[in-house]
Amino acid sequence: MTTRRQFVGVIAATGLLPLSDALATPDDAKAAIDKIVGSSFVKTGKVKLDIPPLVENGNLVAMKVSVDSPMTAIDFVKVIHIIAQGNPLPNIISFYLTNRSGRATIQSRIRLSESQRVVAIAQMSDGSFYQGFADTLVTLSACTEV
Amino acid sequence: MANTSRTLVTMPREAKKGEVIDIKVIVQHDMESGFRRTEQGGLIPRDIIRSFTCTYGGSEIFRAELHPGTGANPMIVFSTIATESGTLEFKWVGDNDYSSVATSVLTVV
Repeated sequence: MTTRRQFVGVIAATGLLPLSDALATPDDAKAAIDKIVGSSFVKTGKVKLDIPPLVENGNLVAMKVSVDSPMTAIDFVKVIHIIAQGNPLPNIISFYLTNRSGRATIQSRIRLSESQRVVAIAQMSDGSFYQGFADTLVTLSACTEV
Repeated sequence: MANTSRTLVTMPREAKKGEVIDIKVIVQHDMESGFRRTEQGGLIPRDIIRSFTCTYGGSEIFRAELHPGTGANPMIVFSTIATESGTLEFKWVGDNDYSSVATSVLTVV
């Protein structure tokens, strides 16, 4: 006879219940952002992050980020980091642009494990940081399927 | 022979000098996140592409650092200014000696 306690223990041990896979918290995301920006102040604005507000499948989410920048030889966007507040790992993808990029617009596809806020942090060529964000509702999470 | 896979690069063959062109790259890769489990409960080890680099006439114009949060078959659309006729080289590097290279020739008129 298996008690409920034993049963739960076995299930947890086999990993069928993701008890140990703690998701990143906004604190982890903050730590990841602090690692990027150091002690610099991050201004809000200039960065526009487009993610559908309602995501049916978190495994493949279309994402578009654009930064308001003239993209000239002396004034351009150096880096754009995409940071998740609710994924197992906060870092999603980072784009390193140059003064030959022409436009500060990037499209890609990302994974989202739950409904959350996704933050985009851009560093300009003068070293200043700007951020933008998008809130999403995810109905089917990434990282659950076997 | 290193571990490699199919790649797809979409960009114009010809551009006017100074024109900003869009480049779309896709590479075939599962991007195994390292967070999924098998039916037996074992963790599937992480196997992802770590970086993508694009050079134009030998100098780097774009680079991306990929993490497990990037979707399978990573797609990136970025842009560059057409400065001179030359070859663009696209390179993906990842876990387990993964490496793929693609090239594309751009004629600037």
